[in-house]
Amino acid sequence: MNAAAQVFANVLMSAAIYSLVAVGFAIPFRVTKFFDLGYAAVFALGAYSLYVANMWLHAPLWLSCTIAVLFSVLFGCVLEMSVYGPLRRRGASPLVLLLASLGLYFFMQNSISLGFGDAARSLRLGLWNDGYSILGARVTFIQIVAVCVSPAIIGAVVLLLRATHVGRTMRAVANDPELARACGVNSGKVILIAFAIGSALAGVAGALVGLDLDMTPTMGMSALMMGVVVLIVGGTESIPGAILGAFLVSLAQHLGAWQIGSQWKDAIAFVILLAFLMFRPQGFFGRMVKKAAV
Amino acid sequence: MKANLLEIEGLNKRFDGVRALTDFSCSVHEGEILGLIGPNGAGKTTLFNVLTGFIPPDRGRATFKGISLMGLPSYRIARAGITRTFQNLRLIRRLSVLDNVLFVFQSQPGERLRNVFFCPKACASREAENRKMALALLEGVGLAEKANDSAEALSYGQQKLLSLACCLATGAELLLLDEPVAGIAPEMTERILALIRSLPSKGKSVVLIEHNLDAVMQVCDRVIFMDAGAKVSEGTPQEVRNDPKVIEAYLD
Amino acid sequence: MEYLLHILILIGIYVILSASLNLIAGYAGLVSIAHAAFYGIGAYVVALMALNWHTPLWVNLACAIILSCLLGALVGIPSLRIRDDYFVIVTFAFQVITFSVLNNWVTFTGGPMGLPGIPRPEVLGLTVSSHLGFLLLIGLFCGLTFLLCHRIVRSPFGRVLKAVREDEVFAQAAGKNVAACKMLIFVIGAGMAAVAGSMYAYYITFVDPTSFTVMESIFILSIVIIGGAGSLRGPIVGAVVLVTLPELLRFVGLPSSVAANVRQMLYGGLLVVFMMWRPQGLLGEYAFEKGSTKG
Repeated sequence: MNAAAQVFANVLMSAAIYSLVAVGFAIPFRVTKFFDLGYAAVFALGAYSLYVANMWLHAPLWLSCTIAVLFSVLFGCVLEMSVYGPLRRRGASPLVLLLASLGLYFFMQNSISLGFGDAARSLRLGLWNDGYSILGARVTFIQIVAVCVSPAIIGAVVLLLRATHVGRTMRAVANDPELARACGVNSGKVILIAFAIGSALAGVAGALVGLDLDMTPTMGMSALMMGVVVLIVGGTESIPGAILGAFLVSLAQHLGAWQIGSQWKDAIAFVILLAFLMFRPQGFFGRMVKKAAV
Repeated sequence: MKANLLEIEGLNKRFDGVRALTDFSCSVHEGEILGLIGPNGAGKTTLFNVLTGFIPPDRGRATFKGISLMGLPSYRIARAGITRTFQNLRLIRRLSVLDNVLFVFQSQPGERLRNVFFCPKACASREAENRKMALALLEGVGLAEKANDSAEALSYGQQKLLSLACCLATGAELLLLDEPVAGIAPEMTERILALIRSLPSKGKSVVLIEHNLDAVMQVCDRVIFMDAGAKVSEGTPQEVRNDPKVIEAYLD
Repeated sequence: MEYLLHILILIGIYVILSASLNLIAGYAGLVSIAHAAFYGIGAYVVALMALNWHTPLWVNLACAIILSCLLGALVGIPSLRIRDDYFVIVTFAFQVITFSVLNNWVTFTGGPMGLPGIPRPEVLGLTVSSHLGFLLLIGLFCGLTFLLCHRIVRSPFGRVLKAVREDEVFAQAAGKNVAACKMLIFVIGAGMAAVAGSMYAYYITFVDPTSFTVMESIFILSIVIIGGAGSLRGPIVGAVVLVTLPELLRFVGLPSSVAANVRQMLYGGLLVVFMMWRPQGLLGEYAFEKGSTKG
């Protein structure tokens, strides 16, 4: 068992998840410009709906995962249609939206606690959790899947943004909502699609984490915060930046865990975040986070 | 020869590939009203933003009463004696008209917490003095009856008048007015223009951006015509109006 | 009767917390999710000093306030340069880091086990140990807090805060050092939260990290929002409502495991409801409009 190889494998796995979470968060963020903390609830719901489908409804794994992702998309869209959309149409500030999303998250997390308890729940996966030894590191099948699925999905998203009409429209609305509206773009629909895509990624990431480890009601907030750290480190406008950020943060966390203990993982990530916000708030590749336009 | 209050040399600014200011230079003399005209996007407001420290220029300098403005934060530029209004009319709508004026007074001891707790009498007496001055100012511009109304309750024209009153309250020597009479009724326009015309006699100098050419002709001593960030023409209102380059630019 | 006094003491502690957060978020418009961190820092400083050095109340309190203010200044530095909704993330980061330190630095803070057996404070030679005694002590600090807030808010400095909250650009153009004002109010708020923490430590005689989590910060923020941001009495009303509400739940007969979750669902739900229909809260005058697309 090669410790360095193990750390590297763990870093790869974390980075895969973090980048999914970060990109999924960034898509609606770019279009609506507010921090949607409800995203954490979508993530957790992805994991828990997988649990329900697999453990309570006894659906096969592939079906359970599909259900999980669909349910996440549904939930994300419901949030946008019932709360964020109406608030935005009334001209609510990003702060109000953030606070509303905080309330939603709070509500959802506690509902999960109520329904499933606070103790960690895991899926009985049998063969799927078998370990393989690759170059001295122990990896499970799920982890290999995660490391392959994550870049594939992100690649698909990048393709969507660059090459399709939908993607181009999203970028137009993100860059200049007024102009886009003037050109006849239905920003409400575009935003809904952005939330659907973001929620899908959250659902996938939640399901992967649920499959790999376990699920707890607070898993969403942890994931979201890592996603935000990664985005700020990489630059909120840049997907390559997010991936780079995901690697950097994972590396720092796992190296730190190796040396000073895994209980400091969160603190490490947030110290990196503070450092970036203080010295390079635009992240690696982002543009300056402007203060009020004059 | 009147002293140059403001010297601008070679200001350049690019935004995302668009040239907002192209080697712009000019001077503002003490006690003059300088008009800045030109089509939309000519860089007039950008010039104001650079001068007041909200946007850093790519190149060039500006000095006010001999002090360089480059790199100074906006609040220091304001304290040095330059005040401005904004194209999109900035005011504190939640506060009353009187409070808006009181807000902009400079060097208030009550704005330092140390004084609030340790020199309450000094703060109170200064506040009382400022109140008197504020009311007198509002009287002078004809907004005295609205003193206790919230700024939100004023009409658009009255709000523009209030912005101007706030500029006066700061005691600044140079006023940068961004479209002070745009979008308001003729009556109010006259009032504001008359007010602006009276400023040099109070020891103030003004640079004014306007699209309303009649207003500019009436009020300004000198005019600069800008296009695509560059100075195209400079002189008295008549001279600029008749300058073939200006006529060409407008016809484009 | 003792139960009633206990509730009143808790309300008192939360009034101090929400009044101080109100200065930061309600008057200066800086939403912060770090308040529980400063609350915790105050509590732990007092706990550590009282347990290890048996120093008197006033010394402990002073140290708690000073450390909290210094850390508040540290957190305040990023606010000078970034947009306010990013600043929320900064405060969140600080909150998590503080919790991490309190929970994991076992040799210093006792880790998850916390610090038990904090000695009762002595005021003017009398040991404060009864509920009534604590109520009087907390009442005193509530009064001081209210007075401080009142003075600040009614002063020209308070006027600058309200202006900054609405339009920073205008405030800067009017010659106000916006960054310094924000920093100052954040530091003051942090110091006041430390006072609440000190009272908590002395009253409960036990501190552990679970009282100072992100959820606690969000709870304090909810009090400010629901009570009414930007009003002096809002925090009082908010504290009364949000502290007594869960106690009422107790009488409904929910099992305690469920009650905690239901209570938090209630807070979350109230937050959403208020943001959608009354963002200025019950008594407030600030509806978090900074950066909105209206007007």
